[in-house]
Amino acid sequence: MSTIDKNKAIIEYLLTCNNIKNSALYFNLIDAKDGNIQIITTSTDTTYDKSFIDGSKPKKYTCNIVTFKSINDLALVVGTSYANENVDDVADVQTLIDWIDEQNEARNFPDFGTNCIINSIKTTTDEPRFDGINTSLQPALAMYSIGIMVDYIDTSKVIWKDE
Amino acid sequence: MAANATAFNLGTYQRAERKLLLTVVEWKVGTNVKREILGRRTEDSSIEYNADIAQTTDIRGINYADINKTQPQQSFDPYTILGGSELGVLLNKLRRENALTEFNQFSVYIITAYLGTSGAYEAERHDGCTIAINSLGGDAFVNMPIDVYLSNDSFDQNGKSTGKPAIGTVDKLTDDFAFSADTVG
Repeated sequence: MSTIDKNKAIIEYLLTCNNIKNSALYFNLIDAKDGNIQIITTSTDTTYDKSFIDGSKPKKYTCNIVTFKSINDLALVVGTSYANENVDDVADVQTLIDWIDEQNEARNFPDFGTNCIINSIKTTTDEPRFDGINTSLQPALAMYSIGIMVDYIDTSKVIWKDE
Repeated sequence: MAANATAFNLGTYQRAERKLLLTVVEWKVGTNVKREILGRRTEDSSIEYNADIAQTTDIRGINYADINKTQPQQSFDPYTILGGSELGVLLNKLRRENALTEFNQFSVYIITAYLGTSGAYEAERHDGCTIAINSLGGDAFVNMPIDVYLSNDSFDQNGKSTGKPAIGTVDKLTDDFAFSADTVG
């Protein structure tokens, strides 16, 4: 298919990740509960974009993935044992970053249609970003976010057609 | 003055998009003709005509400029190594073999799609053109920038030099286009 809704494509793609598939996934709006995940659409400035001479254009699709996690208010070391849910939660969110990296290495990309040549899919940070604790929620939840960027070439305006 | 100049197929004050000027390389593999457009992943490329100009000024202070020759060439930088590019594979093979005499056996079409009509875009063909590899390397991805030297020549059906490019039209903007040379006269 030549033109594909990129948000739908990224949702389908992310749902192939176990970390996402096993969670309640929301789009823009969310029912904030422990373990729920929200895709937030973002926009990319195209002011200084430049086309290639064949009419194709490098573009970026971006979105944020926010994961809500319950919080633990215990110290990291209690007595002689070391265990903390908060640390484990960050590691859990980190698995999505690692998964994206693995997909990129394997060149397993979302399907943006035949008019798009995808160069890469990457996260914008190597670790989840801690966006704070939302205390307005009951119970309060920590929010961790990951930026995802798909770097692709839009060939829809190319006039030279390969056989 | 040359006659039969065609109007641009553009609206009044509409600028011609860069993609309407195409450079297509043609070469033979046995009896098969291969073609490939140049300029994928290249942001900026122009045909430089490198005119050799002799200027004189007469005793009245009037200037005269004579163009002795042009040596057109076009640079493609970056020329990125891309999967699926048969020309890239060929150039890399010639580079490895240092096959210097085989770099000058290309035909190059310059297609001006802002001239003519759909089904008959104006074009010119230069035969015996040279493609020179300038370097190989880059940062994140392998780049092999090239210069294309246009011959200002074309060969007739008997393979003889005509001393000028073949002027004509192409019927479509795909690898399998047919080039129709203008009839003289």
